[in-house]
Amino acid sequence: MPKLPNPVDFAVPVFILLIVIEMAWARRKAPQKYEPRDTLVSLAFGLGSTVAGLLFGGAIYGLMLWLWEHRLATVPWTWWAWVLCFVLDDLLYYLFHRSAHRVRWFWASHVNHHSSQHYNLSTALRQTWTGWLALSFLFKLPLAFAGFHPAMILFCGGVNLIYQFWIHTEAIKRFPRWFEAVMNTPSHHRVHHATNPRYLDSNYAGVFIVWDRMFGTFVPEVDEEPIRYGIVRQLGTFNLLYAVFHEWIGIAKDVWHAPWQHKLSYLWRPPGWTHDGSRDTSDTIRARWQARQMAEPAE
Amino acid sequence: MEGVWIDLAKFGVSLVSILALAWLARWLDLGGDERIRSADQARFLANAAIEGFEPVDIALDKAGIGALLRDAQGRQMLLRRHGAAWVARLLDERTEARLDRGFLTIGTGEKTFGAVTLHLGEAAGVWAAGLRRLPTAGAKRA
Repeated sequence: MPKLPNPVDFAVPVFILLIVIEMAWARRKAPQKYEPRDTLVSLAFGLGSTVAGLLFGGAIYGLMLWLWEHRLATVPWTWWAWVLCFVLDDLLYYLFHRSAHRVRWFWASHVNHHSSQHYNLSTALRQTWTGWLALSFLFKLPLAFAGFHPAMILFCGGVNLIYQFWIHTEAIKRFPRWFEAVMNTPSHHRVHHATNPRYLDSNYAGVFIVWDRMFGTFVPEVDEEPIRYGIVRQLGTFNLLYAVFHEWIGIAKDVWHAPWQHKLSYLWRPPGWTHDGSRDTSDTIRARWQARQMAEPAE
Repeated sequence: MEGVWIDLAKFGVSLVSILALAWLARWLDLGGDERIRSADQARFLANAAIEGFEPVDIALDKAGIGALLRDAQGRQMLLRRHGAAWVARLLDERTEARLDRGFLTIGTGEKTFGAVTLHLGEAAGVWAAGLRRLPTAGAKRA
């Protein structure tokens, strides 16, 4: 089996070039789409995540290899296996991503990607440092156990990540209907990054938006409503370390103060859940918004 | 060992690249100078920050960098600029509220969020009094 390179390494110069182009676009069209300090934080997230990958990637790859050695079947190193691996990896990405928004332990890591109030190509590089702690790699393991070689799985995951870079932009409005129907696009992913109640917890897709359509989590972008980006409780700081660890700190505090019978719930229940109902989850926010919509007749 | 040097070189190049991009964003003057221009805008931002927050009383900073808002339930919100965006916090327990003539400095109890000084003019005293009437953190927990 050939040793495969990390495709992301080759994509990085293109990422940088596209960010420069988007900055030039923002200067002409909407300077507020970028904020220099926010950009620096996002890019520092990206750099830190590559360091975390170097530190923990070897162990995760080792675990995948071990599982592959105890595999259920052997998937050959052939073209259809690559296609199948890519599609199944994207399905598992959907599951990972949905869990990352619905389980606080996973969210504590994934929140990093959402904590910018801007939506531009630098936001795409706002990747977590603590994915290993959140156990995100668990979602990669089934394919290795099924018989796909870990090198193939990680290569497909890299291509998936590269695809997701360019959809983090407001510079592209919409693609032809057939493309929007099948693929994840800037329009679909803007919805995913929105904090507007109508959009919360939707469009989890990586490459193929069909997963959201299949599993009932698809929400289309509504042109009449401006999108607000970020998280429900915006950070309000450009402090990088706080941005990286704030949700982990929040979990630790909540578990410490919670009554014994509720401690574990702060780990696995949705973000915002509290035993006394003192905070909002995305469900309660959306319910309140829906109630207001029902009460106020459309103008 | 060679792999380590390659990784270090990649790290160095990446670090230089991100600093260059951040510098470019600043050089291009991206970010703009966002201000709250009207009570309607403050109302919109407040509702965007906390779903269902409908202010009935609004005090705008004279320079437009923030606002204090109160809704019909008596909840008070601090809204302030954050780069080219806006952030808000509900002020539901007593924290810093320092009055200096028309200027009111408000703390949220969050170190990373920091304190905000708003120029509210004559309204500053009324809002300071309102903030001082909030329960203390200990009283709230009890």
